[in-house]
Amino acid sequence: MNKDVKALYQSVILQHNKAPYHYEKVEQSTHEIAAYNPLCGDKFVLYLTISDHQIASAHFHGYGCAISKASTSILVQQLEGKTPKEAAALIREYLSIVLEGAATDQEEFQAFAVAQQFPGREQCATLSWQALEQELPTIDQDDIHREESNE
Amino acid sequence: MHDPLSYRSQFPIFTHHPDLIYLDNAATTHKPAVVIQAIQTFYEKQNANIHRGVYELGAKATQLYESTRAKTADWLGARMAEEIVFTAGTTAAINLVAHSFLEPKLTAGDNVVISAMEHHANMIPWQQACLRKGAELRVIPVQADGRLDLAQASQLLDNRTKLLALVHISNSIGIINPIEELGEMASKHQIPVLVDGAQSIAYYPIDVQDWNCDFFVCSAHKFFGPTGMGFLYARNEHLQTMSPWQTGGGIVREVDFDQTSFAPPPTRFEAGTPNMAGVAGLNAAIDFVQTLDQTTVSAHLQSLRIYALERLQSIKGVQVLGTASPASGIVSFVMDDVHPHDIASFLGGANIAVRAGHHCTQPLLKYFGLAATTRASFSIYNTKDEVDLLVAQLQQIQAFFS
Repeated sequence: MNKDVKALYQSVILQHNKAPYHYEKVEQSTHEIAAYNPLCGDKFVLYLTISDHQIASAHFHGYGCAISKASTSILVQQLEGKTPKEAAALIREYLSIVLEGAATDQEEFQAFAVAQQFPGREQCATLSWQALEQELPTIDQDDIHREESNE
Repeated sequence: MHDPLSYRSQFPIFTHHPDLIYLDNAATTHKPAVVIQAIQTFYEKQNANIHRGVYELGAKATQLYESTRAKTADWLGARMAEEIVFTAGTTAAINLVAHSFLEPKLTAGDNVVISAMEHHANMIPWQQACLRKGAELRVIPVQADGRLDLAQASQLLDNRTKLLALVHISNSIGIINPIEELGEMASKHQIPVLVDGAQSIAYYPIDVQDWNCDFFVCSAHKFFGPTGMGFLYARNEHLQTMSPWQTGGGIVREVDFDQTSFAPPPTRFEAGTPNMAGVAGLNAAIDFVQTLDQTTVSAHLQSLRIYALERLQSIKGVQVLGTASPASGIVSFVMDDVHPHDIASFLGGANIAVRAGHHCTQPLLKYFGLAATTRASFSIYNTKDEVDLLVAQLQQIQAFFS
């Protein structure tokens, strides 16, 4: 078996693929974000619950390859406790590592940076992150409006 | 007895990529040197625009173009060369029929019948035409083993059916559909039939008159020819009544600013400068296919499929979709807990080319409860050894992920 491909999958990806973090549908979430890649059929829904201006909890469910599932698992794990603005910064950091080769010492992010070298797999590593990035401004606005209407 | 290795040497790609185990022929086939040479020769020695020049080179280019049309007609068992319209491929041919033949005839309350295993190209044009005209798209269901439900089919075809569009061999699961039987059902209601032969024409004999089919579509790049090239076979009676699809130069009789009269078929449907080099390649590809003994080739593909099915199903957690026969050399499978994309990446790392995804048959895969499969598809240069290599890698992949 090709050792480069094996290296891509490493322990981080395999681990999160086998035991993904908060992998379930959540009826009561405040926000649902869909991430879909029509080229391969990978489809995840992120379930976020915003309260106290923070992402109080994050879950996800759906269908996808090991890379997309593992990267989404790491995303929801890292989102919890962050404000929408902090989440946006996190996503920017991740994407600059995975898409632009920026250096990092975070082992988890490093694993996905390797995806760049493999034909057609970059999108797997960024699918949910980019989908959420697009929705964050709206989530942030929703949060501000809720605050204003509560005052 | 078919010898794949003797064919391998005729395909330059294997000289340049000797370790390539190419199992993605349903996506596109490789090209023998004779086809590549024909295209090169056209540009080096024969290039000129057709139908216009009164100089020798132009006349020769025209002759090559039109003689290829006649050759194609013969190959399909058509009555005349004028029943062949050159197009950019299968998708373009189907769109031509949808636009110029079907849509003018379609009214609210009519229906079009397709099968559940159609490629998006032989589904979406009909679906969109039905949506525009208030007609119904009816779908012949597929059964768990991959065969079409013929009893249902006969219920779906009726006096308001304006077309039956059917794939000969499924690009996802390899099942060979009973075109003759379905054609007979259609003829009871005088329903015109379109057959998508993209995956079959390379290996199986086609006789459009025997099949009583009104339209037949395919692409050259699926039978060892160049990309950007294909054709529509259509019965002359239909072509005579059809208006042009794309308009422009090359298809006209007389042109004024306020009106235009159009040339007869097939010229009427070939607007603009055609893909002449593509036709040169098509010409050589037909010659090449005609050197194959279709009986031994199709037997070879079927034996590869049977062998692949046997070996794949012996791997724990692997399931093949559509196990019925008759079927051609296309096999789709899934592996428990391992996504096709991951499988294909690992196989790619071992120089094994397969395809992962929905293969442009999302509705078919939905029926099986899937979003994607891994697909291996064989051609004349593939061997049993290659199937063994595929299986060995799959066993390693299964172990790695468990």
